[in-house]
Amino acid sequence: MVDLYFAGVDVGSLSTDVVIIDGGSNVLSEVVIPTGVNGSEAAENAFNSALGLAKLTRESIVAVTATGYGRASVAFATGKTTEISCHGVGAHHLFPKTGTVIDIGGQDSKVIQVDSQGRMLDFTMNDKCAAGTGRFLEVMATRLELDLDELSSPLNISGESAPISSTCTVFAESEVISLLAKHTPREHIVHGLQRSIVNRIWSMVASIGIEGEVTLTGGVANNQGLVKLLEEKLGLPLNIPENPQTVGALGAAQIACRKY
Amino acid sequence: MMIPNRSEYLKSLAQSGQKIMGVLPALYPRELLWAFDIHTAEIWDPPGEILHANAHLQTTICPIVKRSLEFILKEPEIINAGYLFPHTCDSLQNLGTQVKDLIGVNVPVYTFYNPKGSFNNTTTKYYREILQNFQTTLETVYEPLNPEKLLSACVLGHKIDSRLMAIQQARMTNHLSLDNSAYFELMRAQEYLLPLDYLNLLGKIDILEQAIEPARARLMVSGILPPSPEVLKFLDELGVSVVADDLLAVSRRIPKFPMDAPLLPLDYLTDRFFILPPCSTRAGDLEERLHHIDKLMQASQAQGILFDIVKFCEPELFDHRLLVKTLRERNIPVLTLETELQAYLSGQDKTRIEAFTELLFDMVSA
Amino acid sequence: MSLRAELKYKIIKDYGAPALMAFQDLKKRKPRPIPEAFGPPLESNKRLKEILSRHYFLARYVPGVKKVAWVTSGAPVELLRAFDFYTIYPENHSALVGARKQGADYCSIAEGSGYSQDLCSYARIDLGHLLSGKTPAGKLPKPDLLFCSNNICQTVLYWYKAIAHELNIPLIHFDAPFVATEQTEADINYMAQQLQDMIPILERVSQRVFYVDVFERILKSSQETSQTWGAILNAMEAQPAPMTIFDAFGHLAPIVSLRGLPVAQDYYNILREEVDTRVAQGIGAISDERYRLIWDNIAIWYKVRFLATFFAERKMNFVTATYTNAWAETTGYLDVTKPWTSMAKTYGRIILNNNLKHRLDLMKKMIKTYSVDGMVMHSTRSCKPYSVGQFDLRKAITADLNLPAVILDADIADERVWSEQQIHTRLEAFCETLEGSKHG
Ligand SMILES: Nc1ncnc2c1ncn2[C@@H]1O[C@H](COP(=O)(O)OP(=O)(O)OP(=O)(O)O)[C@@H](O)[C@H]1O
Ligand code: SF4
Ligand code: SF4
Ligand SMILES: [Mg+2]
Repeated sequence: MVDLYFAGVDVGSLSTDVVIIDGGSNVLSEVVIPTGVNGSEAAENAFNSALGLAKLTRESIVAVTATGYGRASVAFATGKTTEISCHGVGAHHLFPKTGTVIDIGGQDSKVIQVDSQGRMLDFTMNDKCAAGTGRFLEVMATRLELDLDELSSPLNISGESAPISSTCTVFAESEVISLLAKHTPREHIVHGLQRSIVNRIWSMVASIGIEGEVTLTGGVANNQGLVKLLEEKLGLPLNIPENPQTVGALGAAQIACRKY
Repeated sequence: MMIPNRSEYLKSLAQSGQKIMGVLPALYPRELLWAFDIHTAEIWDPPGEILHANAHLQTTICPIVKRSLEFILKEPEIINAGYLFPHTCDSLQNLGTQVKDLIGVNVPVYTFYNPKGSFNNTTTKYYREILQNFQTTLETVYEPLNPEKLLSACVLGHKIDSRLMAIQQARMTNHLSLDNSAYFELMRAQEYLLPLDYLNLLGKIDILEQAIEPARARLMVSGILPPSPEVLKFLDELGVSVVADDLLAVSRRIPKFPMDAPLLPLDYLTDRFFILPPCSTRAGDLEERLHHIDKLMQASQAQGILFDIVKFCEPELFDHRLLVKTLRERNIPVLTLETELQAYLSGQDKTRIEAFTELLFDMVSA
Repeated sequence: MSLRAELKYKIIKDYGAPALMAFQDLKKRKPRPIPEAFGPPLESNKRLKEILSRHYFLARYVPGVKKVAWVTSGAPVELLRAFDFYTIYPENHSALVGARKQGADYCSIAEGSGYSQDLCSYARIDLGHLLSGKTPAGKLPKPDLLFCSNNICQTVLYWYKAIAHELNIPLIHFDAPFVATEQTEADINYMAQQLQDMIPILERVSQRVFYVDVFERILKSSQETSQTWGAILNAMEAQPAPMTIFDAFGHLAPIVSLRGLPVAQDYYNILREEVDTRVAQGIGAISDERYRLIWDNIAIWYKVRFLATFFAERKMNFVTATYTNAWAETTGYLDVTKPWTSMAKTYGRIILNNNLKHRLDLMKKMIKTYSVDGMVMHSTRSCKPYSVGQFDLRKAITADLNLPAVILDADIADERVWSEQQIHTRLEAFCETLEGSKHG
């Protein structure tokens, strides 16, 4: 089966990610680009660059599973599956002892429970409000005039954190404004924001419970300060994939292979 | 199946001189109103934008209350006999007095208390007195009640109940060939059709002799209203059939088991109230509610349960936690959606529903 | 009950608790300085603290001695007292947690276990306490019985059902039909009958016999205490008012949770004497009272000090509130010769179980009696019965009485629902209108 290739395409709200694997689940290429306003175009572009990186032609890909928020708009897909199943499968593949997956993406965060085969047992998802997602951090980064890397650098893990009590993005933004007006150091505010996301995630985790190892996926896993706080709050070390943003696409590629 | 459009139907009724009372959720003695020739048009989730109601209600009030008030503020002509506010929850309780005593409308406002908690003889006696008092109130506005009329109203109600029970049974056992959308459209028609029209409609529904092939996955739903048409359609597309319900607007208003044909109307109505299924809005025993849901899931062989919770609905949200916890402990898949009664299906909810069906299918095939 | 536990309880009650209180007094650091805007603090504050700390402290020694009941603020507790239950008020405890600014912590525990963030924060805090065992009050004894009435809200019924399920203990519910227009004979008889139906259950749980004379004595004491409380509130008609409503939020605790007990009556006698003396001497709660305000709805517990200072600095004093008045308003109906029906009237007609016309009339009356210049309404996310209708109440009051008013969106005990900036802006604007209206 080594000559058959499979692709997973995850059209997320912020990033579109493609992973190409062979029949033995070896990753040949992975690509992350911004989704922008047109999901199907982003899928097309990301797929082409992934093919280029893997030095493959379109024809050699025998099955493509689309996933993510724009999964229905991927014209070349042969099947579609939700990103919830895909993150479960992908995380389980990378860390086989995974029992719980936390995916913190741009617009949604999810907690997924999987069995020893990587099959989903249960899941929960944030409510409509963006608090507790990457988007929340981005809004605040703009307010604080920081870029994402500054917002996530481990240097910011100072002991002190400014109290951000609101759980709603709009309220939290006004709290940030008043903290800035009081000349609170920006690191403290950043710390407070991370803490508020972590609390949000924690209550989602608590509502379905922790089983086995916990793997963190999605772009926010790149935020080192937040990872540290989340580990502290859960009292557990987290598995962090090398490339957390492509875990969904990896899972999708594997589902494409399984279904083939 | 041809079901008349709600607003056109009510409009033409009103034009023909029919008395129509707007009734808010949820439990009320409809037969008593029918006996005064008053048609009951229920107000649950009138469509349209919420504008004026926002000037009267905080943002954290449930959309049923908001939509109802938006509707009432328009002073619709079809509602010519007044409004009835049954006592359902804190929000509707206050809305009733707010409309009556502070906002003011051009038609009378009535209220009807539904006893709360666990029931005993004291409650039964009191409920009968409430019925009696409500009758007296209506008699002061209209003419004295004709006992014959009340009896025939009860007989009509009894026939509707019996037919609904048979249809529900058929749905649970695959003897009904309606998709999710059509089934719940039928259930919701009772909110506005004249009782006789509704009974005729129910009579036209085929209960099949032979069971049909069950759907790929079977689901039970719980909450206040049936899931929105968009959700139901999506479930149809995914191959998931809603086979049983624990909805306030549907099966929580149909007695748990068949009743004898009515002889003494007020006794009949009292008995009927006390054998309705357990309901969050009456705040009965939690164990009993769990047990009831269990029974429905078994009878319908549902594989999972969908809680479609109205945002900010305290009665449902409190019970929800224990129901979900217990069902999860029994490894029954549970999905909770939160609805603001919007007329579209968000991408997020689509993902939730789809992921949940992936889980159900996996389970069915495993 | 064990003799040893009982002995220990008695010793603690009579010697241990007073000694501890004295010790805590010694331990206490310098009191916080009083901002200039305030008049001299009430002497009774000290006594109040003693009573409450002692109540929570003693509670630890109660198991095995007395049966413990958790009770809602509007429940007819007099009946329980006739069986000598030790009563704990979870609402009071949640308010305490809120006042310590720990509401969000407890709420998140409940939320983590599956309770929605949209539920009343008193309930979430209490359930968070129950699930984690955490409390700032040392330790609360587990209940043997739950006693609730939906005369304040239907919420408490769901909340108590959840506790009953969690702990597997009996729940007694007193169903109080909402007074949509006026109480009917049927309503009164229904409530009276329920109370009598409870007696055998209470006898069983408490293992005590019901004595009518004991019950009547308690009823009488409860009525007297409520009337004294009413008199204390009335004293605030004086200009300047001898205390602020923020003081009253604190002094409310005994009437809510200890009424029917001698300690409550004794306390209010002391407080009454103090406010009367202050009135006679013209001592005000704030040093320069220029504007008098009415507060609507429950306190914002985590912001009491902030609000008190904010207004005092602007020479504004809250002299009355629908909230504090709730425990004085209907006790006039109590009648020892007709205990059951009179309790039905007292407990059935309280403000949150009564229609909004009643509330509007009551508020207008209070505004007149207390010479009120402006109104602050707290619209609280937690409480539907108190908050649904406030927008229209405000409209009616400002229109009829030409009274400046402001609505604050906040919560009783979940400090996450507080937007400092927004509230500040609203309050400032309100104060400007008020100053303009009085001098303009
Ligand atoms: N280097 C980085 N440092 C910190 N945060 C990052 C970094 N890279 C990405 N993120 C965060 O990850 C988020 C995007 O994550 P991801 O790509 O998983 O989202 P998505 O899949 O598009 O969204 P969704 O799954 O919600 O539809 C951004 O909002 C950003 O905050
Ligand atoms: S949805 Fe819930 S809160 Fe809203 S009216 Fe119905 S029962 Fe009341
Ligand atoms: S705050 Fe309101 S909803 Fe909560 S317990 Fe008190 S009365 Fe009930
Ligand atoms: Mg994603």
